[in-house]
Amino acid sequence: MAQESTEIARGLRRRDPDLLDRLIEQYQHRLLRYLVYLTGRRELAEDLFQETWIRVLERGHQFNDKYAFSTWLFAVARNLAIDHMRRKQPASLDGLLNDDEAPLEVPATGQASAFDMSLRREQNEHIAAGMQHLPAEYREVLVLRFQEGMSLGEIAGVTLVPLGTVKSRIYRGLSALEPWLKGAPL
Amino acid sequence: MNTHGHERARNLIVLAGPEALSGADQAWLAAHVETCASCRAFAQNARETVQALRAIPIAAERSLVSTTQMRVRRRALELQRSRERLWLVSVSCTVVTLFALLSTFVLWRGFAWVGAQAQLAPSIWQVGFIVFCITPALVAGVLLLARDTHLADHTGSYQG
Repeated sequence: MAQESTEIARGLRRRDPDLLDRLIEQYQHRLLRYLVYLTGRRELAEDLFQETWIRVLERGHQFNDKYAFSTWLFAVARNLAIDHMRRKQPASLDGLLNDDEAPLEVPATGQASAFDMSLRREQNEHIAAGMQHLPAEYREVLVLRFQEGMSLGEIAGVTLVPLGTVKSRIYRGLSALEPWLKGAPL
Repeated sequence: MNTHGHERARNLIVLAGPEALSGADQAWLAAHVETCASCRAFAQNARETVQALRAIPIAAERSLVSTTQMRVRRRALELQRSRERLWLVSVSCTVVTLFALLSTFVLWRGFAWVGAQAQLAPSIWQVGFIVFCITPALVAGVLLLARDTHLADHTGSYQG
């Protein structure tokens, strides 16, 4: 990991477009997923996705190879999302939560071929719906933890909150999703 | 089982993820879950929630990726060009400064020599040197001012 980070840092300092192409390919789904959950809007997430990579190009020299690239990348994306919300309305990440006019756009999980598949799909849809009712702070840590597989320390690095806060957000986020797992109305 | 025990168990259940729990924590949690129905149910729910979270498909479309790559390449080119321009300007400034220093030195010596030949007082040829140096800038300034005044008059007459 350290070797990879060092190579990335070197390439970013040179503003190597081939390296950036590779990184965009590599992190495309993870970054977009994070931004979709953070903003709750696919269209905005796609705009921020592009802006994030432009920012990575411009500020690549600031990447410290002591840390994982993904941690820095998500932090850049997060800052851009917050900047966007501040421009729109003077608020922090709180501005991203529970926007009823902008439902979280999650595509259907495909065709049901069997009863259990159908049940599982239904459960996934319930959870996806539950996610849009969670505060953005909770959505964010749940995605970083369970979809990105980040450690608590890395999440604290991205979100700039103490480890204890990360733990409590994960706990509260998961607890808040529990009723949705059991089939709260969509 | 006290409330603290349940709280600890639920914390461990939720936090068990990329960082594995220590052996002692794992053993304690297993023993607790075996005897506590509510924490067992909580663990099951947490597992299913995490599975459902992981199963939600959000993927970047090909067009988004290629547009982003194109934008990044274009911006990289812009940054490279602006860096090259900056480098050119820096080099030009350095060269101009060096030439200015050199020519000032040569001119100073030239004026001193002419002053000595003409047997002038040093203050006279020094004033001459200063006038010689600032005259081009003064003339250029006056011409530019005159041009601006002329343009303003001309535009004013069209507008008026």
